Amino acid sequence: MASLKSFIKAVRKAKTIADERSVVRKESASIRTSFRDPNLDQTTRRINISKLLYLYIMGEKTHFGQVECLKLLSSPRFADKRLGYLATMLLLDENQEVLTLLTNSLDNDMQHPNSFIVGLALCCLGNIASPELARDLYSNVDKIITTNNLYLKKKACLVAAKLIEKDPDLAEIFLPKVAQLIEDKHHSTLLGVTRLIQIIYEVDLESRPTLVKLIPKLIAHLKRIATSGYMPDYDVLGISDPFLQVSILKTLRMLAVDSACSSANLEQLNDVLTQVTSNIESSNTDAGSSSSGKNAGHSILYECVKTIFAIQSDQSLKILGVNLLGKFLSTKDNNIRYVALDALLTVISIEPMAVQRHRATIVGCLLDGDISIRRRALELTFAILNEQNIRLLVREVLLFLEACTDNDLKPYITSQLVIASNKYAPNDKWHFDTLIRMLKVSGNYVTMDILSNILALIMQCKDMELRKHVVGKVLSLSLENQQQQYQTTENGSFGLSLVTIWCLGEYGELIMGGNIEVNGKSVAVTEKLILKLIEDLLNNSNFTDSETVSLVTYILTTVLKLSVKFQDERSIEQLRLILSSKSYDNNIEIQIRAIEYQEIFASNEKLKKGLLAKMPAPPMKEREALSLHPKSAKKQQVSLSGSGSGSGSTTTTDDLLLDLMDDGPVPENSAAAADNNNYKPDSIANRNANILDLFDNPSQSNTSTSNPIIESSSSIPAFSSSLISVSFSPKSFKAGQAVVEAYIVAKSPGTHITQFQLLIAVPKSQKLSITSTSGDYLDASNSTIKQVLKIVGKEGAKIKLRVKVKYVANNETIEDTFDFAGFENTL
Amino acid sequence: MAIQFILVLNRQGRSRLVKWFNNSYKPVEKNRLISDIHRLISSRDSKHQSNFIEYQQHKLVYRRYAGLFFIASINLGDNELSYLESLHFLVEILDVYFNEVCELDLVFNFYKLYAILDEIYLGGEIQEISKQKILNRLAEIDKLD
Repeated sequence: MASLKSFIKAVRKAKTIADERSVVRKESASIRTSFRDPNLDQTTRRINISKLLYLYIMGEKTHFGQVECLKLLSSPRFADKRLGYLATMLLLDENQEVLTLLTNSLDNDMQHPNSFIVGLALCCLGNIASPELARDLYSNVDKIITTNNLYLKKKACLVAAKLIEKDPDLAEIFLPKVAQLIEDKHHSTLLGVTRLIQIIYEVDLESRPTLVKLIPKLIAHLKRIATSGYMPDYDVLGISDPFLQVSILKTLRMLAVDSACSSANLEQLNDVLTQVTSNIESSNTDAGSSSSGKNAGHSILYECVKTIFAIQSDQSLKILGVNLLGKFLSTKDNNIRYVALDALLTVISIEPMAVQRHRATIVGCLLDGDISIRRRALELTFAILNEQNIRLLVREVLLFLEACTDNDLKPYITSQLVIASNKYAPNDKWHFDTLIRMLKVSGNYVTMDILSNILALIMQCKDMELRKHVVGKVLSLSLENQQQQYQTTENGSFGLSLVTIWCLGEYGELIMGGNIEVNGKSVAVTEKLILKLIEDLLNNSNFTDSETVSLVTYILTTVLKLSVKFQDERSIEQLRLILSSKSYDNNIEIQIRAIEYQEIFASNEKLKKGLLAKMPAPPMKEREALSLHPKSAKKQQVSLSGSGSGSGSTTTTDDLLLDLMDDGPVPENSAAAADNNNYKPDSIANRNANILDLFDNPSQSNTSTSNPIIESSSSIPAFSSSLISVSFSPKSFKAGQAVVEAYIVAKSPGTHITQFQLLIAVPKSQKLSITSTSGDYLDASNSTIKQVLKIVGKEGAKIKLRVKVKYVANNETIEDTFDFAGFENTL
Repeated sequence: MAIQFILVLNRQGRSRLVKWFNNSYKPVEKNRLISDIHRLISSRDSKHQSNFIEYQQHKLVYRRYAGLFFIASINLGDNELSYLESLHFLVEILDVYFNEVCELDLVFNFYKLYAILDEIYLGGEIQEISKQKILNRLAEIDKLD
């Protein structure tokens, strides 16, 4: 059999992908065959496994070699063991069942007299430990951790941390060791200990007071390292051991935010932070130019800044922190600027004024060459926006939007712009001008939700002159847009067209007969001009299918409304023709509407005038600012209100209905609104009323669909109050997915409960969706609310739920929170 | 666990080192992830762009050395600069160990590369920070083989 070297050469020699595949397949087959030989000698096995590793790096299938790896590592020869462990760490992971076969070898090797072999076993355990291995082998690690062999000690610390990660119960085993380990002055041991402290602190609440007591020790170590001067072993371009300094700082930050941390400790920490930062600042200026050399120093400064703003630090220290970030921002190094922007995002909630001072730099970063930096800067710009700076910042954001080529980002920007200008607009005229300009530069990336918000704003505008200005402005921009399209192949602006069409239908009479400016020329607004625009938009093929449907439905309503505004018989006839041409449309929504409108069109003037009167202004919805940043993304939490919104899987019509029936705040879901094809140009309030009429007697319509559910015998009681009880019934648990039904039952049948909401949170590693619900009230006709929960997560993980129930009983809003982890099965 | 995985990819997207510390990735997922990451990183301009990208729920820290990308995936809250320095540390060790390291060294000695990695990192954490200690250690182990 050929050597590893010749195999690698053969793979490299392959000219085509097909050639390479055949080499790989042949070798893989011959390795498989050789593994079937019961008398395979270790040398051949070693060669084959090394080839298998090469295949592994190439991304080939290697699972058939798993048992062979275990055979190799049980050999007494060091070379065999070494490769065996190496291969085991790569080809196996904690999810493999063969892992149980490894327990004995690891146990033996961790007691081996040769420290190299102990090292291999430790390393292997640290990489692929499963909860079972952790429980079986922790005592070995516990022994090694007290050894005098530094090489093994540092490994044992990290392995112990890993075992605790796998089985949190082990924290109490290793906690007593920490006090002694922290006395060690060796850098690598300390690095391991800090990790050990972090993980114990994370998983074991009871250990926290003990760990907080270690703060003075950690501070002493940090001080020693930071002020030690040159340390040849740990020097990184003039900085002493940045890795350990960063790790100690991180640990200190964790411990110092604990409530048990005394003010004396905090004071000490404040001192050492000042010392560390000034130390690096001075050495940075000494070291001078090379940017790679500064990286190590900056990594420590960055960690210091994070700590300054996480703990209760002095005002002077906070100023120092903000100044440091200011310095970071002004460097040319993109990495440093990136972390500075990242840090400012967290600082803004603590020191908003200090961040404002860097406004110019932040805005400058909007033009950076790096998309990561631009995104950060954009988010920060929205975060620092307020009444004072809105004119300035919005101008920059609009410029950014105009130049932006990242279409995924645009809906975020437009939504944020609308939210910010709703909140801080200095006056109505500015507000409308901003929105119109946004529609102009990015009209294709505005969600339906935002568009209806803009329309509502126009309706609410009391100032007739301003309204006239708005209508005239959107019309002139739309006309300019149409003209441009003849010259370029650019897409039409959907948002702008839609708003224009709606404005013409609603307020067309305000500008008819007057003049507007189009491309610098004054143009008279005539019935002909409006008809031309409508025709052009109807013939525009640049819109997507769903956009066309929404736009055409809006156009039909406008056509109908214009029929009472136009004077010229010929123009009115043309309007009629548009309606009749659409009565043969392929889309049922458009067709139905066209035919219905034709009926209205033909009815008498008086009726028409009444039907087509102006819409009343709808109430405005409060909007919450969105976040781009995954860090600040909201917890996986699905709120159910009304008859169960929030689940993305519901169909369009459902969404629409839910939205309408909703009486509480709906979780902001801008995407859902975008596919509302059948959005009607009628006022939102009107629609609300109409559709609510349909459901006038909700109890009737609901009881017909939801039969009273008989609680299944397998359900587990989870919570009970004087009014209701909640129980969970596991339906299926398999392959990382669980389906659970929740039953909510009223304690006494007479209780009348309404607006019931069940809010559930799961650990970050899992995902929860609530698929259906049988209602939001409990009374005599509906004795049980049933909801189906689906939880997806890592296989084998335990399901833990934090549940909040909210409901109205006897005109009183009641809230209860409880945790539930009573499922026997795991994911 | 700070580091989820470490990758070394060449400019064509061929993997030269693949080390997963986070065991929750499935095999199919791993291959897709690697090609995704390569596409993402190789299209970036090293002069004018930072060495960090947010990717899924983690952050990629990477650096190009000649034709090779050294990539580590870390948690969002971790110190990017520190892990960038750590990748540089790895490359410096390789450079001394292989005496002016080049891609071919890594191709033919991939098993040594893993051994080096195991001396620097353990279970996704930085384990040793003294270059001299690591190099001495590697020399000793090589003698035993």
